[in-house]
Amino acid sequence: MSEKLQQIINRQNQALIGDDQKVDEVIQLVGFIVGEEEFSIPILSIQEIIKPISWTRVPQIPSYILGVFNLRGSVIPLIDLRARFGLPLQKHTDETRFIVMKNGDDVAGFVIDRLTEAIRMPKRDIGPAPDTISESETMIDGVGKQADRIVTILKVHKLLERNF
Amino acid sequence: MDEFEEILQDFLIEAFELIEQLDQDLVELETRPDDLDLLNRIFRVAHTIKGASSFLNFDVLTHLTHHMENLLNMARHGDLVIDANVMDVILESIDLMKALLVRIRDHGEDSGLDVSGCVARLDVVANGESEPAPVAIETPMVQAPVVSTANEEEPDYANMSDAQVEAEIERLLAQNQAEAIAKRAGVAVVSAEVAEPDYANMSDAEVEAEIERLLLEKQSQDAAKRAQKSQNAAPQEPVAPSAPAVVLAPAPQPKTEVAPVAKAAPSAPAPRRSEPKEEGDSKGGGVEQTIRVDVKRLDHLMNLIGELVLGKNRLIKINDDVEERYEGEAFLEELNQVVSIVSLVTTDLQIAVMKTRMLPIGKVFNKFPRMIRDLSRELNKKIELEIAGEDTELDKSIVEEIGDPLVHIIRNSCDHGIEIGDVRMAAGKSEVGTIQLKAYHEGNHIVIQIIDDGKGLDADMLKQKSIEKGIITEKEADAMSEKEAFGLIFRPGFSTAAQVTSVSGRGVGMDVVKTNIEKLNGMIDIDSEVGHGTSMKLKIPLTLAIIQALLVGVQEEYYAIPLASVLETVRISKDDIYTVENRSVMRLRDEVLSLVHIGDIFEVERVFDSSEHAYVVVLGLAESKIGLIVDTLIGQEEIVIKSLGEYLKGIEGIAGATIRGDGGVTLIVDVAALMQMAKSVKSTIGSESGDAKKLGIKNSASDYCVMIVDDSKTDRTIMRKSLEPLGVTLVEAVDGVEALNILKQGDHYFDAMLIDIEMPRMDGYSLALEIKKYNKYKNLPLIAVTSRAGKADRMRGVESGMIEYITKPYSPEYLMNVVKRNIKFNEGL
Repeated sequence: MSEKLQQIINRQNQALIGDDQKVDEVIQLVGFIVGEEEFSIPILSIQEIIKPISWTRVPQIPSYILGVFNLRGSVIPLIDLRARFGLPLQKHTDETRFIVMKNGDDVAGFVIDRLTEAIRMPKRDIGPAPDTISESETMIDGVGKQADRIVTILKVHKLLERNF
Repeated sequence: MDEFEEILQDFLIEAFELIEQLDQDLVELETRPDDLDLLNRIFRVAHTIKGASSFLNFDVLTHLTHHMENLLNMARHGDLVIDANVMDVILESIDLMKALLVRIRDHGEDSGLDVSGCVARLDVVANGESEPAPVAIETPMVQAPVVSTANEEEPDYANMSDAQVEAEIERLLAQNQAEAIAKRAGVAVVSAEVAEPDYANMSDAEVEAEIERLLLEKQSQDAAKRAQKSQNAAPQEPVAPSAPAVVLAPAPQPKTEVAPVAKAAPSAPAPRRSEPKEEGDSKGGGVEQTIRVDVKRLDHLMNLIGELVLGKNRLIKINDDVEERYEGEAFLEELNQVVSIVSLVTTDLQIAVMKTRMLPIGKVFNKFPRMIRDLSRELNKKIELEIAGEDTELDKSIVEEIGDPLVHIIRNSCDHGIEIGDVRMAAGKSEVGTIQLKAYHEGNHIVIQIIDDGKGLDADMLKQKSIEKGIITEKEADAMSEKEAFGLIFRPGFSTAAQVTSVSGRGVGMDVVKTNIEKLNGMIDIDSEVGHGTSMKLKIPLTLAIIQALLVGVQEEYYAIPLASVLETVRISKDDIYTVENRSVMRLRDEVLSLVHIGDIFEVERVFDSSEHAYVVVLGLAESKIGLIVDTLIGQEEIVIKSLGEYLKGIEGIAGATIRGDGGVTLIVDVAALMQMAKSVKSTIGSESGDAKKLGIKNSASDYCVMIVDDSKTDRTIMRKSLEPLGVTLVEAVDGVEALNILKQGDHYFDAMLIDIEMPRMDGYSLALEIKKYNKYKNLPLIAVTSRAGKADRMRGVESGMIEYITKPYSPEYLMNVVKRNIKFNEGL
């Protein structure tokens, strides 16, 4: 009986590994617009996406950090990606969202102009970041090519990195 | 005593772990009696426990384990074959050992159990000569003289002559030992008495008498201690009587009587701990009265309570809002009750959890007698330390932080404060210097006072030294008050010692004191009189996680200032502010207080000109003071400190954030950093910007800006169409939240707002209330445009700050006219 059991377990394991391989080939991204461009980040690094709520200004920090806001009892920094990317500021619209991203214990909210869609993309369609910028400096993880457009994939850990 | 307690706890934890393993090993040993590894392991357990228990003076346990060890050692070396008989005895002895350990855990002593029979059997099995008698007899003989010495010494303590100071400290140490020995003696006697007759070279009557004598000694020792205690500090009194109550009980059965006495003895120096023990006893023992809890769990609990406090604050706010809105309705009463119960229970819960984190400050104080003794030797001075209030409790995290500063202060007092004997005599003081260390509660603070009767601080000398060392300029020195001059000792690099000694002189110590106390949000107050001594008062908040804060407003921002650092608040007029060398100062009674505007520190945009009056929050931290100018005082609130997280940590001047009742985030001011920043901030007080006026100038119709807030697209379009002919700039928002955000962004300067009442997320009334919270928009005309036409609705509109109330449907002209009137539209443009 135990042999049978072993066989079943083995089969299940194989099935699981097979699944993993399939998942590995495709990564899920969430696309959003900041300025004119579409960016995306891995769906697993998103804690949640919320509509804009009020925030509190914090003094003595770079202007792209709008301040902090209250997310169900946690105080979380709010970063305006337009300002972060050096784009002119824009008023918040109906479509403005805060994407709360996390990387380990680091959590921050990012203001984006609007969401586009969740993208499933095979890994082979993702090219490296343009090598005009040094590897350690760039916030770009790679560039995903789709039929009609290209999507810039951002490094979440870089976005969440304090650089002041 | 505490150190002993700690070692004991460690020992017990270790012993119980060992025993757990032991049980398994023994079972295995029975099946494989030849396994040397197993035997070795069991031997080591007995050995370890013996070693530790002899160190901790648990003689019965030592006695037992010693014989176990003997036996096992023989087995280990093959001198003894373990058969069932031997095994029985080993198991019996191990059960007994467990019982003893349990007793030690529950009662702190190992008396009351008879081990001699077992020991004898162990010895028989081991084929050795049984010799328990010497152990039992020797101990009482050693004990007798020592205890009586301690007994004689005790009452002397208060009137101790100078020459005996050093010896006194030794004796205090010896006293502890004497106590332990006395306890041991009692134990040994008991075991002798209830055990085999060959123990007792004494008759039963003699033993009885011996116990009687020990009881008396204990009693007088306790009495002496109590007397000494009550001289210094009163609060232990309610507990103390419990000791004699037990002791005085008649003693027909020594076996049961000795145990409580031995227990009562340690209760005198540390009454707090004794209470649960006594209770446990009355309940029949066996029940565990304390449990060790990982501090992390307590911290987690504290965090949860923090959340609860925030929730409570929020509930109270909502309750207020609801009260306003549904005045007179029956359910309000009920809601009120629930809210008040919740807030009451939350507060109690918070206090209860806070208390679980409390430790007596004695934990820190305990190391000072020894330190003083060493220092006085080293410095060749005669110094006596008086400690009071060591039972005062405060948060664990603070206890951990307070040790270092106290060490530095006391070293400083010994080195610089107390003079050498000859100098003291010449000055007409007693040869022996005294340092008093006191702790007591004062409101939400604990005060630790260090008083020496040394030479005191000389303000002029301090100034002179500081100038020499380049810490201050002569000009600054002239402007300094005496207290400020005393504060100089906390400056880094400052030292009055002529030469660097091993004790002090590097100018580091007092700087450490200041930094640590500031870290705890504490204050330092120095009082000193030349020739008479110095008193240093450290005032520290009881806990760090949840604090009382003063909420202040500047423009439309709010900040929370820890109330512990707020000395007072004063309302002043602009004329009271003087400028001295580019710094703003004011007179506060007989002091000159330097001022700084909170807006300058936190880079707040000055949009509007504040009124003629300003509020000054006088902040005190460690030894310095500053006046912080704010626009408004909001009030006092209990806040929970939350960190700003990794990303925003270390922002100068901000200690953290808290979440307010309305769900908004308010930043907490770091008073220590703020004081530092104040030194470098350029003052703009009195030169308020005139930008606000500039914004008021209208050159064309499009300079007027009106916001339309309505969730219905149709309604927005109707309003837009009605107003377009005016040519004013129109901005639309779909609900209150968006409208607020647009206002906050400040891209437009609005002249009026048209607000619908029924909107998702935030309705018109709430929006109006929110807007009116901002000073900047106090005068912004808010016009309600709604189909709600009831009188009550109109009333609410007015209450929330609307100045016009337009009911739908309306004619475009009517709307236009109302808007024109309210924005003071100039037709001429």
